[in-house]
Amino acid sequence: MKSPLFYGLLLITLGLLGWGTYQALVVAPPEATMGDAQRIFYYHVPAATAASILFWGNFLASVWYLWKRSPIADALAVAGAEVGVVFFGVVLVSGPIWARYAWGKFWVWDARLTTSLILWLLYVSYLVLRKSSEVGSTSVLAASMAILAALDMPIVYMSNRWFPTNHPQPMIGTPNLNPEMQKVLLWNMLAFTMFALLIAWFRYELERTSQQINALHVHKAAHGGMAMLLPLAFFLADDKLLREQAVQHRYMVIGYIAVWTIYIGYLLFLFSKLSKLKKEEAELRAV
Amino acid sequence: MKAGPATTGKGEKSMSITRLTWINVRKDLRLEWRSRDVLNSMLFFSLLVVVIFSFAFSPTVDESRRIAGGLVWIAFLFSMVMALNQSWARELRNGVLDAYRVSPAPAEALFLGKCLGNFIFVILLECLMAPLFMVFYNLSSVGPLWQLVVIALLGTWALVVNGTFFAAMSIRTRNRELMLPLLLLPISIPAVGSMVTATTQVLTGEGSPVMQMKFLAGFCVVFTTACFLLFGTVLNAE
Repeated sequence: MKSPLFYGLLLITLGLLGWGTYQALVVAPPEATMGDAQRIFYYHVPAATAASILFWGNFLASVWYLWKRSPIADALAVAGAEVGVVFFGVVLVSGPIWARYAWGKFWVWDARLTTSLILWLLYVSYLVLRKSSEVGSTSVLAASMAILAALDMPIVYMSNRWFPTNHPQPMIGTPNLNPEMQKVLLWNMLAFTMFALLIAWFRYELERTSQQINALHVHKAAHGGMAMLLPLAFFLADDKLLREQAVQHRYMVIGYIAVWTIYIGYLLFLFSKLSKLKKEEAELRAV
Repeated sequence: MKAGPATTGKGEKSMSITRLTWINVRKDLRLEWRSRDVLNSMLFFSLLVVVIFSFAFSPTVDESRRIAGGLVWIAFLFSMVMALNQSWARELRNGVLDAYRVSPAPAEALFLGKCLGNFIFVILLECLMAPLFMVFYNLSSVGPLWQLVVIALLGTWALVVNGTFFAAMSIRTRNRELMLPLLLLPISIPAVGSMVTATTQVLTGEGSPVMQMKFLAGFCVVFTTACFLLFGTVLNAE
């Protein structure tokens, strides 16, 4: 964790996050019908991109683990799944806030939304399995589960193919996306992907530390809980106001607050885990 | 300790996987025949689901046609979870899994045997419960009945093969019985979805279920292969 590369990247990422958010809030042109509410887009899509990269990472690391039984692969798999679940949680929270404005409903059971929810559930069940399986068999069981989960995804997509969807299709590089908006989106994608990878790196180091502690004492296994912060509950004024700019603005603010609450909440959770591990390690070394 | 239950029969050195599977199936069937605890609890449970659902919704004939597909499969899915947990818990109590790990018999035979055994139990349950559903909900099918049979066979196999695999996995966790639905349900959502859609399509006669049946067949092939390949790893996870 003392690597200067990490801190260098951290600085760059923080800069990029600031730049991306500035672009999203100030530079990007307002959308014709949704106004400010559409700015949630610049947080929603990048989180999905980052999460899919992390889930892929989890799959590859799991295959690697079953093949070589390397604890490094296992730590990578944990990091991929857990950080992926957090980022996908952001997708599932920011999406409905935007949808409440754009479609008038938080949630509809259409193809894209159902698929995303199942994807998220699959990886949550992966984390649940990791938490409750017996020490020693966790990594193997989890890796098998990860492979089945990854196999399930194309099937889920196929089963949803014949449903209609309200959700917009991918639009990068198509004329449907204003080039100005596309530029802002790409900045944010870069920023959030780097952010996700850095958190995953941090989580990986944590897992490695915890593995080393486990090796230090066999009986007291280190454990940590998955803390998912509930999105801020909020209530809406009457529908007459809904199309007004103030309301669009409110959706945007709520969306951004919810997203950052999740990211920061997860980071706080990781830091508390780190300090717990450090304390435990210090105690063990003292004895 | 070479002799797991699979090799007690004649103590031969090498047995084909088919024969080993058959021995496992026969052992499961005999155990079930003597105790009948799995079938009894499944039957009673799904009967309760039928009664509670009809109290909760008190549907008309048309409504019940529309919801029956979902209802039937949810009842079967939940009772299946009970059977699957039982099927491995039984082996754990008697140390059979440890015996199997040290025996030279391939793990795949055990898995296949368990799958077939559970498949037979669940199909039996469905045969017994289907007439009851028909009676309680005044059901009659608009579409051809043979399609329902195909859907039931494919759907049951899809759930049983995944369920047997995840039950073997969840038996290794701390909160054994609780874990199975948490692992099994998310991964089976696509299969359950297409089973329910297909059943509803046959019952109401609206649309052809052939597409869903093909999808189910594909699901069965993919997951049977994957579970078959990974089972040895899970059995020996230490």
